[in-house]
Amino acid sequence: MPAPSLDLGLTIAAGSKRELRLRNPVMVASGTFSNGLEFARRFDVDTLGAIVSKGTTLRPRRGNRTPRTVETPSGLINSIGFQNVGVSALIAEVAPVWARWRVPVLVNIMGETVAEYGRLAARLDDVDGVAALEVNVSCPNVEAGGMEYGQDPALAAQVVREVRRHSDLPMVVKVTPAVTDIRPIVTAITDTGADAITVMNTVPALAIDARARRPVLPTVFGGLSGPAIKPIALRAVYLAASATHLPILAAGGVSSGLDAVEFLLAGASAVQVGTATFRDPAAPWTVLRELTEWCEREGVRDLRELVGAARRRD
Amino acid sequence: MRSDTLEVTASARLYGDTHILWLAMPASYQAAKPGQFVMAYIGEHTDPLTGRALSIHRTRAGAQGPEFALLFDVVGRGTDWLARREQGDAVRIVGPLGRGFEPQPRVQRMLLVGGGIGCAPLIWLADRLTTEGREVTLLLGGRTAAQIFPPSLLPPDVEVIVTTEDGSLGRRGLVTAPFTELLPWCDELFTCGPPAMFEALHGLLRQSGLRKPAQALFEQTMVCGMGICYSCAIFPRRGGVRLVCHDGPMFDLRDIY
Repeated sequence: MPAPSLDLGLTIAAGSKRELRLRNPVMVASGTFSNGLEFARRFDVDTLGAIVSKGTTLRPRRGNRTPRTVETPSGLINSIGFQNVGVSALIAEVAPVWARWRVPVLVNIMGETVAEYGRLAARLDDVDGVAALEVNVSCPNVEAGGMEYGQDPALAAQVVREVRRHSDLPMVVKVTPAVTDIRPIVTAITDTGADAITVMNTVPALAIDARARRPVLPTVFGGLSGPAIKPIALRAVYLAASATHLPILAAGGVSSGLDAVEFLLAGASAVQVGTATFRDPAAPWTVLRELTEWCEREGVRDLRELVGAARRRD
Repeated sequence: MRSDTLEVTASARLYGDTHILWLAMPASYQAAKPGQFVMAYIGEHTDPLTGRALSIHRTRAGAQGPEFALLFDVVGRGTDWLARREQGDAVRIVGPLGRGFEPQPRVQRMLLVGGGIGCAPLIWLADRLTTEGREVTLLLGGRTAAQIFPPSLLPPDVEVIVTTEDGSLGRRGLVTAPFTELLPWCDELFTCGPPAMFEALHGLLRQSGLRKPAQALFEQTMVCGMGICYSCAIFPRRGGVRLVCHDGPMFDLRDIY
């Protein structure tokens, strides 16, 4: 546990009626924690900063054919295809469990149309156990999915406005690295009512089976995650921080406390632990412990000292 | 789903390209069942990134306390690394995981069918079932003699029937031939092996018209082993989707095909 002198807390939408307080900056990344129920049986989920749900769609989805994943050097390419129970079952069966937790749960939502994002937001508004929304405008997995929204500032802004129109929940928007410049997207999202920005989603990638002379995944492309993408994510966070005043939640290869520190120094206010959890279910707690120890060792009293400290001031 | 760093107590090539690795067994494995598996992590770094899903092959008392074994073919970087572990080395393991075999309590005649390295979890099941005083017949099939688990390492009460495709050991052909003969005899059926074998067994089971429970251990590309990454999907013929690591790996053949 952090020493009393060390403040790890973080506030999203500070000062607004949507204000969301996290006890520390270590969260889990969507799709790497399921909906947390399996973990709650073995670990104290309440000690984390926040939980992010599996990507949730309006209707249940069976997901893609297999293989859905392929291992690459220090990385993992996935194309799960949003297998999930759908928002109705989530509200009926999962949210009541979340309502008993102290840790805030963000529901990650993915629509196939702008209207669907609005409907998802409306369904989740005022649901006990749902603390905030994380809007996925960037998932590269589904052909008809969010890719286009996250790659165009105007479309991304349209989604953000639609979600805001249907929900008073704090809104985090998760952006894709698959753009020439992340800054115009981040600016558009900031200007239209988001409360925080998750940087970033997986990196579009391809693995080929030479012997079979075809792609490994039936969907051809997938999203690369894991330590392999950490330097890409660090750059994305650094750039995003120049385009927004909102808190940045960093995702992309966070596996240790030192990784978390690096992301804070690049401009993030929090980190999401993702693929590391597939290697060790205790990874989010390990990152939190190591981050705390690092701060104590370095005499850091308030994490805000670190946020953006590695950025050039010229 | 806890992570343990376990000491290697013994490591050997057991037959052909098949290796056995014995590990010190934590107390949390006491309730583990045949058919359950572990994720074994390769090396101390992140390449290779993901664990290797391996069935628990056997348990024994051991000189320094209980041990369990993993039995695997050396097929790639991960299994090659595991095979090079020596006594005293450490391997990080998450387990025991998944839903194992569930033999009915009062049935007697058990037919076990293993294809290739699919024999690994069936050996422990055979150990358990014979200890309980049940009759066990184990069919071991492989392409060639080098793929057959040595019958001398099985409890003497287990009746072993070996088939090889090249006839280098036991009967020439596939396990499906002795399977057809033994199907009327058995009360319950347990199997692990390649999907083509499952499909053949399921076809023969249907043809026979006999309603015998047929528990099979399925395989699919796994990443987490704990039901969180959704990599290891399996699509039952009647619809829906299940996760091999979390809902299985044991499914009744009829629930899938």
